This record gives sequence, C-alpha cells and structure tokens, in this order.
Amino acid sequence: MNLALDVQNLHKTFRNGSSIKAVDGVSFTVKQGEIFSLLGPNGAGKTTTISMLSGLLRPDNGGSEKSDIQIMGQSLLSNPLAAKAMIGVVPQDIALYEDLTALENLTFWGKMYGLKGETLKNRVKAVLELVGLTERARDRVGKYSGGMKRRVNIGVALLHEPKVIYMDEPTVGIDPQSRRSILDGVLALRDRGMTVLYTTHYMEEAEELSDRIAIMDHGTIIANGTHNELIQLVGQKTRIALTINTAVDQIVEDWKRCDGVSNLLVEDSRLVLLVDDSNKVLPRLFEAAAKKDVRITSVDIQEPNLETVFLHLTGRALRDA
Amino acid sequence: MKSLTIALKDLTRSFRSTFALMFMFGIPLIVTGMFYLMFGNVKSDDSISIAATNVVLVNLDEGAPETGKLGDTIAQSLQNEQLASIMQVSSVDSEAEARQMVNNAEAGVAIIIPADFSQSFIDPQGEVEVGFISDPTLTLGPQIVKSVLHEILDIYSGVKITVAEAIKQNGSMDAQQISGLIQQYMAGMQFESAGQGLVELRSPSSESEENLLQSMVAPIMAGMMIFFAFFTGANTANSILHEDEEGTLQRLFTTPTSQIEILRGKVISVGLTVLVQVVILIIAARLLFGIAWGPLAGLILSIIGLVLTASSFGILACSLLKNTRQSGVIFGGLLTVTGMLGMINIFTGNPQSSPLGIVPLFTPQGWVARALLFNMDGAVIGKILPLFLAMLAISAVFFLLGVWRFQKRFA
Repeated sequence: MNLALDVQNLHKTFRNGSSIKAVDGVSFTVKQGEIFSLLGPNGAGKTTTISMLSGLLRPDNGGSEKSDIQIMGQSLLSNPLAAKAMIGVVPQDIALYEDLTALENLTFWGKMYGLKGETLKNRVKAVLELVGLTERARDRVGKYSGGMKRRVNIGVALLHEPKVIYMDEPTVGIDPQSRRSILDGVLALRDRGMTVLYTTHYMEEAEELSDRIAIMDHGTIIANGTHNELIQLVGQKTRIALTINTAVDQIVEDWKRCDGVSNLLVEDSRLVLLVDDSNKVLPRLFEAAAKKDVRITSVDIQEPNLETVFLHLTGRALRDA
Repeated sequence: MKSLTIALKDLTRSFRSTFALMFMFGIPLIVTGMFYLMFGNVKSDDSISIAATNVVLVNLDEGAPETGKLGDTIAQSLQNEQLASIMQVSSVDSEAEARQMVNNAEAGVAIIIPADFSQSFIDPQGEVEVGFISDPTLTLGPQIVKSVLHEILDIYSGVKITVAEAIKQNGSMDAQQISGLIQQYMAGMQFESAGQGLVELRSPSSESEENLLQSMVAPIMAGMMIFFAFFTGANTANSILHEDEEGTLQRLFTTPTSQIEILRGKVISVGLTVLVQVVILIIAARLLFGIAWGPLAGLILSIIGLVLTASSFGILACSLLKNTRQSGVIFGGLLTVTGMLGMINIFTGNPQSSPLGIVPLFTPQGWVARALLFNMDGAVIGKILPLFLAMLAISAVFFLLGVWRFQKRFA
C-alpha cells in the first residue's frame, strides 16, 4: 500500500531562555486510508509534531538527508505549497472568524485552499450538509454553541477533499455527545478513503479509532504498531489497582519487592501495579499487607491495554505523565 | 487573488465591528459636528437688534460761493435711508436747543455743523470743528453714530486736502476752479449717484459665514480625519496579532497559500480599510458641513499620502508588539502623542510658517495635515507634491520595517 505520510527524523528544540527539546528524532509512516494516532500525555510533543507536519514549524534539521516530511509523495520541506494542498488541518482550538457566518467562513477557507466558482459553491454546500448546519449557515459563528463551532472547524479542513487530514486533539473540552459525533465522523472519513492523523491523550479514543498507534513521551516515539502489537509488548502482564485503609507509603516498598511485580506507581490514593501473573502475585500482596497490618479495601484487575503499555514502557500512568 | 480575498474578508470584519465603525466614522463626524453647531449658532444669530439712536442735527453752515452748502450734503448723508435702522435724525435750529434735548434724554446725540463749515474748504489753513454731544448714559448707540460721522467727515477731509494741495500747486485758484474740483472729487466718490450715501451699511454676507465655517471647522474635520485614520490603520493592522492569538493565522499558514501572499493580503486590508474610511469621511464632511477640500488633484495626493502613512504606521507599530494586550497601551500612547503633535497647529491656531509650525513635521500625521490644509487653502499642486513625496518616503520606510519584522516573526 502507498504511503500517505512518510516522516523521517524530526527534531525541534525551543529556545526561550533555556532549551526545551520538544521533539527528538520522530519518524513514522502512515499508509493511505488508515487512521494513525499519536497517543501521549500532555507535553509529549504531539502538537509540535503535527505543527511541523502542517508546515507551521520548520524542523531543526529539516532539509538534511535524513530529515523529511513526505505527504502523498510531496516533500513539505522542499515543495510546501504542493504538499499543503494535500492536507486538511483541524487545529486543537477552534480557528474560525466568529464575526463571519458559517457560509462566509467556509467560502473564505475554500478560497484559501484554491477552490473557486461552482466547485467552491458545491463544496461549501456539501460540507454544510455534512456538518449538519445548512439551516444555520447564515448565522454568525459567534452565535453557535461549542459543538457547532467544532463541526464547522472540522468542516473547514474537509472543503478541498484532502487526501490526508490532521486532527489535533479535536475532542478536548467538549461534551460526550459532541465527542461521540466527532469520533463517528473520523471513522466515516476513513471509510471514504481519507487518511487521518489523529493526536490524543485519551487512550480509549486511540484504541477505538486507530489502525495503528504511535505512543509518544518526552518528544520521542516509544512504541509504534497496531493495538494488538502494542499490547504484546507487555506480554502476559496484568494491571492491578488496589486501595488500602491506610497511607500508601506504609506498603509501597514491601510490594515492590514481591516476586512478579514489575512496576508500581501511586495514583491518587491507589496503588497501581504491573504484574506477571495476577493469580500468583495477588496472594503475595495480601500476605505482605497482613504483615504490616494493612487492610486491602479494593482490588481492580485489568487486562492489558494501552494504559498498561504506557505504564510498562515509562513506569508512569498515561494520564499523569 | 488570495491576497484580495484576505483583504476583503478583513474589510468585512472591520465594517461589522461597532467599535471600529464608531472610531472610523462616528467620533470624527460627531466631534466636527459639535464645532459646526457652535459656529453655526454664531452664524444664525446675526439678528442682534440695537435700538436706533435719536440724533438731532444743527446745520448752521452758511455755505460759500465756491462750494455751495456742504453742511447740507452731510445732513443728507446722515438722513440716508440706509442708516435709518441705526439712527433717527431730526433737525433743530440752534445748538442750545440740541443740547437741551440731549440733556432731557429726548435725543442721544447732537451734531452741530458750524456756520463756517463750507468756508473752511476754501482756506487751506482754515480749520473747522463739527460738534458732537452725546448722552453719557448711552454707550453703544452714540459710538455707532460717531463712527458713521467719522466715515462721512473723512470724505470731506479728503476734499479739503485736495483743494489745499491744488491751490498750493497752482499758486491760486478762483471760485469756479475750486467748485469744479470739489464737484469732481465728490463725483469720484460717487456722491452724486442717486440713492447712494457716503457710508454703506453691510450685513455679514453668507459668503463670509461660509468662510468662517471653512476656516474654523474644516481644519478640525481634517485633524479628526487624520487622527482617526491613523487609529484605523493601527487597529486594522492589529488584526494580524488578533489572528495570531485566535489561531486563524496559523490555520492560514497550513493552507497552500504562501506567507508573502498572506502578509500582502493583510497589508492590502489595512490600506483598503483606511481608504474607505477617508473617502467616506471626505464626502460626508462635504455633504454635512459643506467643507471645501480644495483642488481635486491636491486632494487625491493628500488622500493617497494619508492612506499610505496611516497604513504603514499601523503595520510598523503592530510589528513591534508582542501581543494584543500591549496594543491598547501602545496605540493609546503612541497615536495620541504623535496625533497631538502632528496636529498641534490646527488646534492651537499656530501659523504653519512660524518656528513652532515645523513641530508637526516630526510626526507622519503632521505631513498629512500640512498637505490637506495647504490644499484647502487652494494651494497649487506644486506645493502639495513635495509633501506627497515626503509622505511616500516615510511610508516606504515604515512599511519595509514593519513587513520585515513580521516576516521574521512568522518565518
């Protein structure tokens, strides 16, 4: 299958007093027609990566032999306008003109993507229907609800029927209903043959949507593959979350020393452990707790998931990283 | 093409903002309108009525063969119909009776023409005194009558000087010659024309009212227009920073549109917005206040200069700012200070040719103001052209610096 995106060796350091390496050697490929997610906690470098893939930021070593961004065979670094014509970008925050109507916004952005005449009119009409705002097309965007704005925000990126769509955490801060609608929309885009690059820090979204997932942390991709491939990284390990009736530090060191415990972290008032075989490890945990006169008040055993993978790879929980 | 689309989008947004509309059109027209009404009131309040002063005239002039009775001609002039609104003249026979009438407040003024009034014109050395007695309790009326009398007597002084000079030059003149000379002089003064007096009363003409408005209101309108055009330039250029913060600028950069084209679009939008504002203000000021902007060619050059300087100044100012939070303070201070300095001559009435008159030329607003004021005074194009070229040079520097800074910022 042909590649929609071929990203090689991206680096980006921000210098504002001190140097912050936001992206450090990121490489990945995305096949045409698949949904590829960049999953990682806030600050992992997802938005910086997508900014470089959109042409908003130039990679530090861009243009060198090993560093390149190919979009549908066009190099973004050497031929930016041709490469940009292939992509539609849905920014994390709503980027629309609130004092213009939805119709005016879509018409303007359509022109910016090079549409004109009847094609422009037809595409604006089609997108308004797609996002369900035909009836409200002549209302100013400023009067829309948050969910409606999100829909127009996505609609703008679809105007020119791009081959590749970037969606940068599009569900942040919205209600569950709008979130569901967006996720269904992403799947529908894939069904129409579009390639989607999706960034999120919600594990469930990445699991549900993605054909392949790259897990990012501290500016690097620490794992990349299908959901099953990533799960296999943790082997037979199980994630166990326990709560106890006293302060967690009384038992942490004892549990860390138990056979079969590979990771332990304190998450709020819970202790989350990554263990080899829960059937064998759990009795040891209870025994160690009893010796310290600590009572376990709840146990939650989870089959391996992306959260477990992240915990396994980084020793930290995805949500707290 | 995309640049124009960006510019038109910005123009639409500007004209949908109540705040921007108020600053673009509302405030300049309202402030000028207030001045217009102030001066308009002076104009319409010209029906000040002063009661006519009662004047008693004692004409004792016995006349002379060479001149006839010149005292009668003075009496005729004072009793001219044109002066009826300011003085009512009646004659009495004696000075004593006239004095009595003034003392009794029956008359405000008494004028006594002495018996040798005409005779004094023949004798080059002769002097004559016309008596003027007024009621001390009256102020304005007698002053007006005295002014009119002076006007009339100045004519006779001219006659007397002419006769004396003629006698001096000729050695001597006979009665016929002197009479001829006096009649010739009076004819020169159109004294003999029927219905015309020696003094003509004139009400302020509508033309001079318009001149008053033109001289007072027009510079204020020009000043307001320049000040708020610069504000519009800065405010519209500030949309670059607004879009940067709202994320729409970044989104523009993700489209297949070059950075240069986007920046060009923003620059065109600034110029276009200021141009629309200035043209509308000029037309509105003409229609509402009757302001004459001067010769068309000079006006066009001044408008172009204004649009270029205001736009480039706004672009430069915005390029120096980090974010829109700074813009309020910077624009408020920068535009107010440069605007006040630039138009100091308009609001102080300081002549542009005075030493302090060059102070405004340290600001871009000052050059525009000078060009517009010159043009309103009817200056020839040759006087506007150097100012236009200066504005062009200033704009080029501002523009290049501003665009360079923005390019560097978004590179």
